[in-house]
Amino acid sequence: MSASIHINISMHIAREEWRHWLRSRLAVISFIVFCLLLLFTTVLTALNMQEASHQRLHQQEKAEETFLKQPDRHPHRMVHYGHYVFRAPPPLGMFDPGVDAVTGQSMFLEGHRQNSAMFADARAQARTGGFGALTPAKLYHLFLPLLIIALGHGLILREREARTLGPLLCQGVSGLSLYVGKFLAIGALVVLLSLPALFSSIGASLLGESWLASLTLYFANVLYLTIWAALTLFVSALTRSRSLALGVLSAIWVLSVLVIPRIGVTSASITLPTKGKILTDMRMNDDMRKLGDGHNAADPAFAKLRAELLAKYDVERIEDLPVNFRGVVAAKSETDLTNTLNAYAEKRMERERAQASHLSAYGWLSPYLAIAGASRNLAGTDLETHHRFLREAEALRYNFVQGLNQTHIEKLSYIDDINRNKGEEGWKRARVGAANWQVLGNFRFTPDSGSHRVVRAATELASLLIWFLTLVGLGLIASRRLTP
Amino acid sequence: MMRELKFMFRDKAVLVWISFALMFSVFAVILGLNEVNQQKAEIAELLQLDQSERETTLAKQSDWGSAAYYTFHTTYDPPSDFAYAALGQRDVIPWKHRIRMLALEGQIYETDTNNPDFALTGRFDFAFIASLIAPLLVLLLLFDLRSSEQTAGRLKLIEASVISTQKLWMLRAWLRISTLLIALCLPVLIAGMVLGVPATTLFLCVIAVYLYLILWMLLTLWLTRAEQTSAFNLTIMLGVWLLVCAIIPAVSTLVIERAVPLPNGGEIVLTQREAVNDAWDLPRETTYEPFLERHPDWIDYTAWDDDKGFEWKWYYAFQQVGDQIIEPLSQSYRDGQARRDELAKWVCVISPATLMQRIMERLANTDMRSALAYDQKIREFHADLRTWYYPKMFRSEDFNSQRALETIPIFDPLK
Repeated sequence: MSASIHINISMHIAREEWRHWLRSRLAVISFIVFCLLLLFTTVLTALNMQEASHQRLHQQEKAEETFLKQPDRHPHRMVHYGHYVFRAPPPLGMFDPGVDAVTGQSMFLEGHRQNSAMFADARAQARTGGFGALTPAKLYHLFLPLLIIALGHGLILREREARTLGPLLCQGVSGLSLYVGKFLAIGALVVLLSLPALFSSIGASLLGESWLASLTLYFANVLYLTIWAALTLFVSALTRSRSLALGVLSAIWVLSVLVIPRIGVTSASITLPTKGKILTDMRMNDDMRKLGDGHNAADPAFAKLRAELLAKYDVERIEDLPVNFRGVVAAKSETDLTNTLNAYAEKRMERERAQASHLSAYGWLSPYLAIAGASRNLAGTDLETHHRFLREAEALRYNFVQGLNQTHIEKLSYIDDINRNKGEEGWKRARVGAANWQVLGNFRFTPDSGSHRVVRAATELASLLIWFLTLVGLGLIASRRLTP
Repeated sequence: MMRELKFMFRDKAVLVWISFALMFSVFAVILGLNEVNQQKAEIAELLQLDQSERETTLAKQSDWGSAAYYTFHTTYDPPSDFAYAALGQRDVIPWKHRIRMLALEGQIYETDTNNPDFALTGRFDFAFIASLIAPLLVLLLLFDLRSSEQTAGRLKLIEASVISTQKLWMLRAWLRISTLLIALCLPVLIAGMVLGVPATTLFLCVIAVYLYLILWMLLTLWLTRAEQTSAFNLTIMLGVWLLVCAIIPAVSTLVIERAVPLPNGGEIVLTQREAVNDAWDLPRETTYEPFLERHPDWIDYTAWDDDKGFEWKWYYAFQQVGDQIIEPLSQSYRDGQARRDELAKWVCVISPATLMQRIMERLANTDMRSALAYDQKIREFHADLRTWYYPKMFRSEDFNSQRALETIPIFDPLK
């Protein structure tokens, strides 16, 4: 038989399958319900994300404006006045908001401290159990496989139970063309179901997202759904009754979507336990005390610095230094302190990354984990991006604090500085001009480049591909051995 | 009945599902216990470090103002005995805070949570098994109770051989559900007894799970038809599960969020900062006026010693005034949280899965109510700190680190 006949037969089988689905009220209704759910969630999430994006950008601008508008004052007061940064969600957040809801998106930056992000949405969410808020990603990753199972488990079994499998195979339809035909049928279903995701991807790209990332995200989702289609077809070819097939497929779904990921989480937190930020901070305090208090220039920790400075400028008293010694101490202690803070922060992030990769290793057991990870990576709403947000915010903090300290050193005289608390007059003299507040940089958090994100998702994409190839391979083998 | 039991255990599918249930439950309990123990260990270490740090810090101070500035206090919400069964809000809402005498509103929104990937995936705890997995197991156990007999051609025969067919199916279903109940609850009960969880808590938990399973049993028996194929029945039931366990809760959350908007977090913290920072440049009387409304006792102690351009009592007064200014906004944030939680209760009427989850979190004290109660405790503790420090600052008492160490308020989670 020539290849074209094979294809014709397969096409015919696929069309028949669709006719069968369309005749079944259950199939049509569940398909329509899912489509409505997908559309509803896609549109709503997109609107929410747009709103959040505008709002946070607006707050960011406002925060910058108020900082720059501060009147003349002592530079160290600006260090404590501090600044706020907000993280706007990336365009693909409209498909997969990722960690956005649990990490919080605003952060207060001030001297001598690294604060954590505040106001995670999840904190104020109504507890209604279930799986939390619906997002397009969650629908695709958690629930669409159920629809594929429900519609597809009978693909081959139906022929077997209706006793049409024997005649089909006798009439020269090879198991292979049957398999291809059924695959085409369910593949068309997958493509149809994936359209809302394509909408999100295109929408995000029109908003400035990289096409590479958004299309990779789309195809990764198609691949994921196809894995479930291939699995369903494989089980359908292997089992002898529809209820058995459904039972097996539901069990696989429960395990790979609900059980394994959560066990992975707990396993990661047991094998690689993290201590909270507070505990880390407290452990760090021992290190910090050695550094001395930057508010107190008389702290013995700065004796050496003082001696060096006096020697450098060849003067006897710090009052005679051409620079403000209090500012020098503040800058020096900020540097030392930031090094310590960063070392601890990096250690903590390193640990969180290790946990994440421990968790994603379970992706070889559950395609759900693989797609969930890949999807966050590609959308730019993953842990890695959150860490980058923390780092960039820290860089901004350090820069403006040191900028202000520099002003303190150069533009405020030491005498005025130590006399700042001597009545109204002293208070007024210990000031620098508001023009110095320009040291604050703008903060606009943007996602990594598309190719960067694709590379980051590579392992997960590879594991999805292996899942796909394995299941198709097994399905082909099973279809060749198909007997009535 | 013994005969039916024998029948049941001869059914391989039943055995598989029941052993799954037992395995899941054992896993969930072990993992839950582990998490709770980690939290307890962390609290213990925090308290130990807290004590030693307070000693070193206080020893270095020379006045009450800097003592209050440099001394941090650890507050925490210890996990309840039953928390291993439902970790609940503790993954999202911080259960530990370190605070000091500065304006509380600038400190209380800090989060110290776990890896965000974890909160996103969710925990494998008993509450998850009971509210989401158990219904799936019920319908997997029951969906082909009648239709399989129909397919095997035995249905008419069996129905003819008993007096009441309905009773027979009920008995069969009930046997399966009860076995499932035992498999699910045994691990929780054993752990609970070892840990000394109050018997009423355990009893309520088992009753809740039992009623929940029976509800799903009745739902399955009602919706599945003998004349339909098993596959059709299972598909229908999976749809019902999806609706009750995922879609209704998610849509309700969304509706509640829209119905009860919260003040924007960014707004709260920005306003708070402005209030505190403006105070530096305001005339002292402007700060003292709202302060004295709350603390009239200090009206005679606000005189300013002009030689010192800076006074701690004034500094802490404006910190408190900062809190006072933001109070309405902050209160409405908390009211909103409580209101949302109140509305979520009503979702229980349409989604038993929500009810189950909330019952478990209630029993384990890991619900929103407990989180808000902890928030309130922090506020009260912070108020205690102020009550303790103010007399010392306003009366310009001499600093004594020994006295400070002995009488300084310590957070007590049980108060």
